[in-house]
Amino acid sequence: MNALVVGEKIDQTASLANYLKKNLQPEAIYAATFRTLTAQELEILGGAGVRKIFQLPENGWLSGGAVAARALAELVKSRGLEFVAIYASKKGNEVAARLAQRLDASYASEVFAMERMGEGVLVKRLVLGGGYVESVLLKEAPRVVSAKFSSEALTSGERPEVELFSFEGEAPHVKLLETIKPERARIDLEKANLVVAVGRGFKKKEDLKMAEELARLIGAELGCSRPISGDLKWLEEERHIGLSGKRVRPSLYIALGISGQVQHLVGMRDSKTVVAVNTDPNAPLSTESDYYFVADLYKILPTTIEILKKKLGS
Amino acid sequence: MPDMVVCVKQTVDVYQLKPHPETLAPLFGQAQSKNSDFDLNALEEAIRIKEKHGGKVYVVSAGPEVKPLLVRECLAMGADEAYVLSDQSLVKADGAVTAKVLSAVIKSKIPNWDLILCGEASLDQNSYQTGPRLAEIFNIPHISYVVKLEIEGGALKAWRSVEDGVEVVSCGLPALVTVGLEINTPRLPSLLMIRAAQRKPLNELKLNDLGLSPADLEPKARSVEVKALKTERRRQKFEGKPEELAEKLAELIVSNLGGRR
Repeated sequence: MNALVVGEKIDQTASLANYLKKNLQPEAIYAATFRTLTAQELEILGGAGVRKIFQLPENGWLSGGAVAARALAELVKSRGLEFVAIYASKKGNEVAARLAQRLDASYASEVFAMERMGEGVLVKRLVLGGGYVESVLLKEAPRVVSAKFSSEALTSGERPEVELFSFEGEAPHVKLLETIKPERARIDLEKANLVVAVGRGFKKKEDLKMAEELARLIGAELGCSRPISGDLKWLEEERHIGLSGKRVRPSLYIALGISGQVQHLVGMRDSKTVVAVNTDPNAPLSTESDYYFVADLYKILPTTIEILKKKLGS
Repeated sequence: MPDMVVCVKQTVDVYQLKPHPETLAPLFGQAQSKNSDFDLNALEEAIRIKEKHGGKVYVVSAGPEVKPLLVRECLAMGADEAYVLSDQSLVKADGAVTAKVLSAVIKSKIPNWDLILCGEASLDQNSYQTGPRLAEIFNIPHISYVVKLEIEGGALKAWRSVEDGVEVVSCGLPALVTVGLEINTPRLPSLLMIRAAQRKPLNELKLNDLGLSPADLEPKARSVEVKALKTERRRQKFEGKPEELAEKLAELIVSNLGGRR
């Protein structure tokens, strides 16, 4: 089996290659990119075991999923590639689904583990709100997955050969008018060692100040459940922890006013220690916590903050 | 006046679903069905477009056992007509099969449409597949993760939420759009609307009507096993006076900071 890896960012492409090398041992790993890579990026891909790079036209990525999928499909067909792994970013998922449709491939999305099983590939993914793992068998080639693995340290290796690959034909495209970047500096919740997360237990936006103060005191990042960033828009989308948001793995996770719908649990399950404050003694988070405080956060948080100020110095 | 198709999946209510204590398999029999959350956001958006620009809203739903009552809910929200396919073989459908069936319904029953709307992913499978696959089948552009949508003069302008921020994009019609819960809050139909919806056409189809046979519904991606995730937690519960709890909470936070601040 030979394999093609595709990521929007170089560490994503490298993480896919690293994982495939270790778990599926393909005979050859190729990478596709939609821009010119720097010497350093080439070395990173080389270090991840990529043998050769196919460089596709840049507008292939910018003009929407259909064009990218068309370009990749031409590449897969012309080179007889049997396995395609696309990093499961939002755009990656769109491209992968269109590509799978175009190739009439066996496809599974949002995969977090893979292994060989007989002639096929067995993949694992989260379903039913994130509380369950589904094992899916991709029996026949071509196989396509969109996947995300925790990234390992990147190593440098020999620069792979780069081949320009252009394709003929039209695909329905969209026009990118503008990208609105978030105003604040980007936060990296997924790498945070301490996280304070807020949920619907907060009654007004102003009350989040309590959580912000707690986070500032202990040096934690602030996160939230989906309603807070989605429906209410009290916090930015990049603070959303859950199935369609960030997956965090801090040493300490403090959940305030979060009941713990399955979609949220999947985003925080890898935390080392979980402390929660919630009024409902039987909320789903109660069985997913190490320490669960059945309490009104409005009644205890101000006092806790005062105590912490004294203990830690404000 | 854009005519719109909204694909609505009926799924198990994952919020109610419990696993078997020993086998960890989901106990589907004990949980109810509902319309998949994001699909209702898609429907709401279609109805808002209709209220502003006119046009018709068709609901399409396919699955092993589509419940008419839940389809009526969609009609009550403001959809004009529904096409429904129930077939037991869809129980093991993968993304390819789902897209094949939905596209077959659209092709054979809804000759004219300008826009297809879908939820970005379903509540149960979370695959992010149906929308892009349908767009590929119809060879039209698609825009996913849309948080704001405008339609004007035969073109779409959409704001899509991605990792790096919000992309503003445009494309011509026909097109396909997928949405999440950020775009709107689906309306709850009033009693009057529910009554009025009883008279709206709900067309039940058979595989035959679409020129499909069970052999066409063989999935390429086969589900082998589904098992609940289990986490090992201490599960210590604290109840009592707020002052004492506040103190205990502070203590636990400090002892878990791991010397790092």
